[in-house]
Amino acid sequence: MSFLIPCPHCGKRSVYEFRFGGEVKKRPQPDAAALEWMEYTYTKANESGVQKEWWFHRSGCRQWLQALRNTTSNEVVEAFYPE
Amino acid sequence: MAENTEKFTIQFDGQSVEARSGDTVASSLYRAGRRIFTRSFKYHRPRGLLCMAGNCPNCMMNVDGIPNVRTCITPARAGMQVRHQNAYPSLDHDWLAGVQRFDWLMPVGWYYKAMTHKSTWHLAEPYIRRVAGLGVAPEPGSGSKDYEHAWMHSQVTVVGGGPAGLQAAFKLAQDGSHVVLVDDQPELGGHLRYRKQAGGISAELIAQLKANPRVEILSRAYCFGLYEGNLLGVLQFSPHAGAIERLIHLRSERVVVATGAYEVPFTFENNDLPGVMLSTAVQRLIRLHQIRPGSRAVIIAQGEQGDEVVADLREAEVEVVTILGPHQVISCAGSSHVTAVHATDGRFACDLVVMCGQHVPNAGLLNQSGGKLAWDKDRAAFLPVNLPAHISAVGEVTGTGLVRALLLPPEDVSFHKRSFVCLCSDVSTADLRDGISEGFDHIETLKRYTTLTMGPCQGRMCQLVGIGVCAHQTGRGMGETGVTTSRPPNPSVSLGALAGPRHHPVRRTPMHYAHDESGAVWLDMGEWKRPRYYRTASCDSERACVEQEYRAVREHLGLIDVSTLGKLDVKGHDAGKLLDKVYTNRFSDLKPGGVRYSVLCDDAGIMLDDGTISRLADDHYFITTTTGNLDFVQQWLEWWLVGTGWNVGITNVTGGRAAVNLAGPKARDVLKTLTECDLSSNAFPYMTCRDAEVAGVPSFLMRIGFVGETGWEIHFPAEYGEYLWNKLLDAGKSLGIRPFGIEAQRLLRLEKKHVIVGVDTDALSNPYESGMAWVAKLNKADFIGRNALSRLAQAEPQQKLVGFVMNEEAIPQDGAAILVDGALAGRVTSARYSPTNGKAVGLAWVLAKSAAEGAEIQIRVNGGVAKARIVRDAFYDPAGGRLRM
Repeated sequence: MSFLIPCPHCGKRSVYEFRFGGEVKKRPQPDAAALEWMEYTYTKANESGVQKEWWFHRSGCRQWLQALRNTTSNEVVEAFYPE
Repeated sequence: MAENTEKFTIQFDGQSVEARSGDTVASSLYRAGRRIFTRSFKYHRPRGLLCMAGNCPNCMMNVDGIPNVRTCITPARAGMQVRHQNAYPSLDHDWLAGVQRFDWLMPVGWYYKAMTHKSTWHLAEPYIRRVAGLGVAPEPGSGSKDYEHAWMHSQVTVVGGGPAGLQAAFKLAQDGSHVVLVDDQPELGGHLRYRKQAGGISAELIAQLKANPRVEILSRAYCFGLYEGNLLGVLQFSPHAGAIERLIHLRSERVVVATGAYEVPFTFENNDLPGVMLSTAVQRLIRLHQIRPGSRAVIIAQGEQGDEVVADLREAEVEVVTILGPHQVISCAGSSHVTAVHATDGRFACDLVVMCGQHVPNAGLLNQSGGKLAWDKDRAAFLPVNLPAHISAVGEVTGTGLVRALLLPPEDVSFHKRSFVCLCSDVSTADLRDGISEGFDHIETLKRYTTLTMGPCQGRMCQLVGIGVCAHQTGRGMGETGVTTSRPPNPSVSLGALAGPRHHPVRRTPMHYAHDESGAVWLDMGEWKRPRYYRTASCDSERACVEQEYRAVREHLGLIDVSTLGKLDVKGHDAGKLLDKVYTNRFSDLKPGGVRYSVLCDDAGIMLDDGTISRLADDHYFITTTTGNLDFVQQWLEWWLVGTGWNVGITNVTGGRAAVNLAGPKARDVLKTLTECDLSSNAFPYMTCRDAEVAGVPSFLMRIGFVGETGWEIHFPAEYGEYLWNKLLDAGKSLGIRPFGIEAQRLLRLEKKHVIVGVDTDALSNPYESGMAWVAKLNKADFIGRNALSRLAQAEPQQKLVGFVMNEEAIPQDGAAILVDGALAGRVTSARYSPTNGKAVGLAWVLAKSAAEGAEIQIRVNGGVAKARIVRDAFYDPAGGRLRM
């Protein structure tokens, strides 16, 4: 694993500067059904293709950002600070 | 090069050997008459120089303590210590050479066939380890540390310094690119250096490249891997006098692969005898090292293929006995060196056999880049196709200008047990045939079954021939049979180079040297150094020292450096809201000056960290985290802030603040001599905090009690670390103060049943099963983990974290198994001898049904079993009165 992530603040950097935060998922409402909470807590889409992920730029701007990464090629299409 | 040669000596197996400037280790040994360079992996057959290019395994020796060095490409240096490998007592007389007489006992797939019962392996392993293999790794700690890592960036990297690579680098630099040129030889030029007939090197081109500031040349450097994002792994030998090897992480926008082609041997009986060489090796010996390789040579070549080397040999005054076509050769004769060639038309006495073999494109890197290798019938080679963007190839690696030779194997290939395909692990044509007939007829399964292409040469010598045999035996074509996947590292990389210079960052607390003077025995905690305990004149063992420190805290007073705690300053109108959302305890209603303990859970209800949180003002909190989790906690808090728009700022103040915990019944008596602050329990009760000056140092005091005694955690600017540490020790001297370390602290807290998150809990532990239900405030609004925790609050716990006290003298180890009625029922997480109880006490995970108060459990100790009893309350001061005194 040696791909590059285009950090919106620092530019293209080695993935080793980042901490992986997993897939971007929507946290359920407090009163959501147990099944919804279980899906959120324990399951992952593990997309074969482009998925949206959290990355923390540990050795750079120290900001959480989101990246669109193709999981089959590790190409990062885009990285941005979430709204 | 031939002129002005300088002479010096190297040491081989204790003997001095003369070498000349420009020599490699192998060339100087060859000139001195050495013909056997190694003994083979399995059969201990004598092996001599074959490729002279670092491609085959035949010249690997121990050089200056480093095993498996390819001596044919390692420049000789005065005083070098070279030793043979895998032979006893010497290369020329190897007692284990008798093994090859039993080769009929070692069919292909021998391990799978012989090791059918686990006891066979246990019996055979010690013998196999002694007999088979390569060099011996240096003893731990004795190896050289002179390895470096470096990082480089370039616009274009050209791999290969032959004619195609030089042209490419020149043109790219001319067009304005910054070029890094990687070449594995000591000098640029590739095959032009030793092939007189190829036209010679353009000295002008090389001079221009060297003078061009846009070109950076890495000589004696090979590229062992091409990774994602155009990251090249490059290993450079002797980058300067102080380093053996340098591993370069080279990131390049474009990569041009100009790795050329290498020559591979023919297969016939005894094709591995010393004296049987590739034509390019012979040319290298003659042209690069001015060595006469033999006196009578037999050439094996197809058509005019041999003309070039024949001319070279005649020039070097070697008699050319005959030129044979590959089909004509039956076998070579000789025991430790070739003496004759048996051919279809007779026997030819000789001391050198020159094989003008097939040239194989060195396309491993292109394969690694994602490119495919497709069979090209016309050129009889696997050639790179479908290269990804930013990767290109030039020169012989693409098939252009490739020296053609006969494709192997011929229809009448001789399947002989001593007709070797793979020199690295002694795999013969007969072994391949047998493997295929046993059903391993796919090139990838054949590879795994026979270990073909899996040795140090990584298939350079054997891959094409192996594919040929497989294609021939199965009746499939070369293209259909296909190539095995190339994976980095190829060629191999020494572990020392991968490990690098081993510089580990170390963090020392502001009081580090004061601890050192007090006799601290150090413990590594992440990057931090912490005193494990203090060895003083009055104690001579760890246990005695720890017990003295323990008694000082329980009876008088102790002082511990807790500067390594993570410290976060959280400020803003919404700070309380954030802490309420992320921690399980409630903080928005905490009054300024109050302190609360909490754990941090994820949405599955698993405890991630714990710590104390003090409220300094309405919009200002101070968090401590466990030593190793600071980064994680800070990132966790910031993560949950993303997108909220809340007014909160988090600052890490860990390095800027020192911290100590002053604890023990005399803590107040000592502290009040240094501060004006009212320390009485009415003015400064348990779980509160104040700003105050201590010995003139602006400090922040928290009255908390991890160790179970009256005490204050004092946070203050790091600059005053040693000053205040010494002030406190001086002030407590007459009252029996002692500095205490981690071991005593762990014992003290264990007696209080205070859990350490991450030691007593793991990635499956929730607050309910850990006996900390009180810390989860389910009646506050949504927080991280609330949903899962409210379910867990209703559920029957599967297991419980409980305290136990031993019924006998034994002290269990952390992690010891717990048995109930002979069945496994849990494990110990922490156990120590408790001076207060006179027995060992501990914390353990026990199945809920066996975890009732007073229940008897058994714990594995020292191979036996010892009895213990489950205790609900803390082992020391269960009511906590001493904390509030």
